[in-house]
Amino acid sequence: MNVKEYINSGIVESYVMGFATDAERQEFEQMCATYPEIAGARDAFERSLETRLMQDAVAPPPYLKEKIVQVITPLVAGNGLEEESTQAPVRRMNVWKLLAAACFIGLLGIGYWAYTTNEKNKELETSRAATEKQLQQSTAQLESLQQEADMMMKPGVKMVSLKGTAMAPQAQTTVFWDTTGTKDVYLMVNNLPQPASDKQYQLWALLNGKPIDLGMLEVKEKHLLVKMKNVQNAQAFAITLEEKGGSPTPKGQMYVVGNL
Amino acid sequence: MTALRTKDDQAFGYLYDHYSGALYSVVKQIVGDAEVSNDVLQETFVNIWRKIELYDESKGRLFTWMLNIARNAAIDKTRSKSFQQSSRQQPIMEADGAYGTVKPGVDDFGLKKVLQKLKDEQRLLIDLSYFQGYTHEQISKALDIPLGTVKTRIRTALTQLRTLLQ
Repeated sequence: MNVKEYINSGIVESYVMGFATDAERQEFEQMCATYPEIAGARDAFERSLETRLMQDAVAPPPYLKEKIVQVITPLVAGNGLEEESTQAPVRRMNVWKLLAAACFIGLLGIGYWAYTTNEKNKELETSRAATEKQLQQSTAQLESLQQEADMMMKPGVKMVSLKGTAMAPQAQTTVFWDTTGTKDVYLMVNNLPQPASDKQYQLWALLNGKPIDLGMLEVKEKHLLVKMKNVQNAQAFAITLEEKGGSPTPKGQMYVVGNL
Repeated sequence: MTALRTKDDQAFGYLYDHYSGALYSVVKQIVGDAEVSNDVLQETFVNIWRKIELYDESKGRLFTWMLNIARNAAIDKTRSKSFQQSSRQQPIMEADGAYGTVKPGVDDFGLKKVLQKLKDEQRLLIDLSYFQGYTHEQISKALDIPLGTVKTRIRTALTQLRTLLQ
């Protein structure tokens, strides 16, 4: 092929100005690679065209640049990040700052955790002590109730119900008396009016019409039974309201009474 | 070139400042309307920016590559429905013989001004193919000239263009 002819065929201009078909383009690129002369001719035409068009440039409206920059900024910004990552010194400093910040935040976190844990621990200890105390109380209470129950269920224990007199028709107490063993007497208060502060209930056993002092009633909370004085023999039991501290013989009003 | 490939934003600024005028001139010659030319120039630079990796130095100068992007964008725009509805551009088939007597416009500038020095029939062919983007086959059919003749005439016109540009 005659290179000069090829150059002058118009293919150079056709290629540069975008007229060439795909086949022509491929051939021309091949020719340029093979013959520097052809590539030179292409470059010369490109330059003259470029020079001419640059001379005839018409400036676009000034605002257009800003508008286009805004459109392409995402593309630029996406790349800008990658570029920053290659700026090692800046990055290293940031890493140290980040590490320091992370350590500080970590310390704060641990401090807070330690404080709250300690507080929680104190709370739990208080709660645990309270629970233990309650458990001890409950256990003691249960034991005493158990003892009382055992006593009541013992064979030979007699139960005497003391009914309210005209003084207090609603009043009622119960006496448990161990007739066969220790002769212990227990009193259960079902219902007795609250005595005045200078008065106190006193339990009596009656044997052949004579009262025997069985002691003062001191109601203990959470106890079913109040242990009174022993008595060997009795035909009836009664409670009177006496001066505080009691009386050798009943002087006050009788509130309840019950026969064996 | 390296700065362009890595899409340095300063490189874009340089590219735009340096070449937007020349490309805008070509776009305007194809599109005519200033408003539409602005849109086309924007599309052109967005495309340049997106496709910059595809540019191959061994196949030609950067300006040539950008010029073809601008020209294609402009021609695509003139082919779009919205553009054809809003412009007085006539389809080539209706142009009839009018193109045969096309006169150099007084307001022609840039490449078109250079083309004024060509013979009328040559200028017509360059105008239809380069500025209006018709294929050789379309021109052949429209002007009822054999395809081979169209090609030869365009080639001849182009070689003269080279002389005119020198």
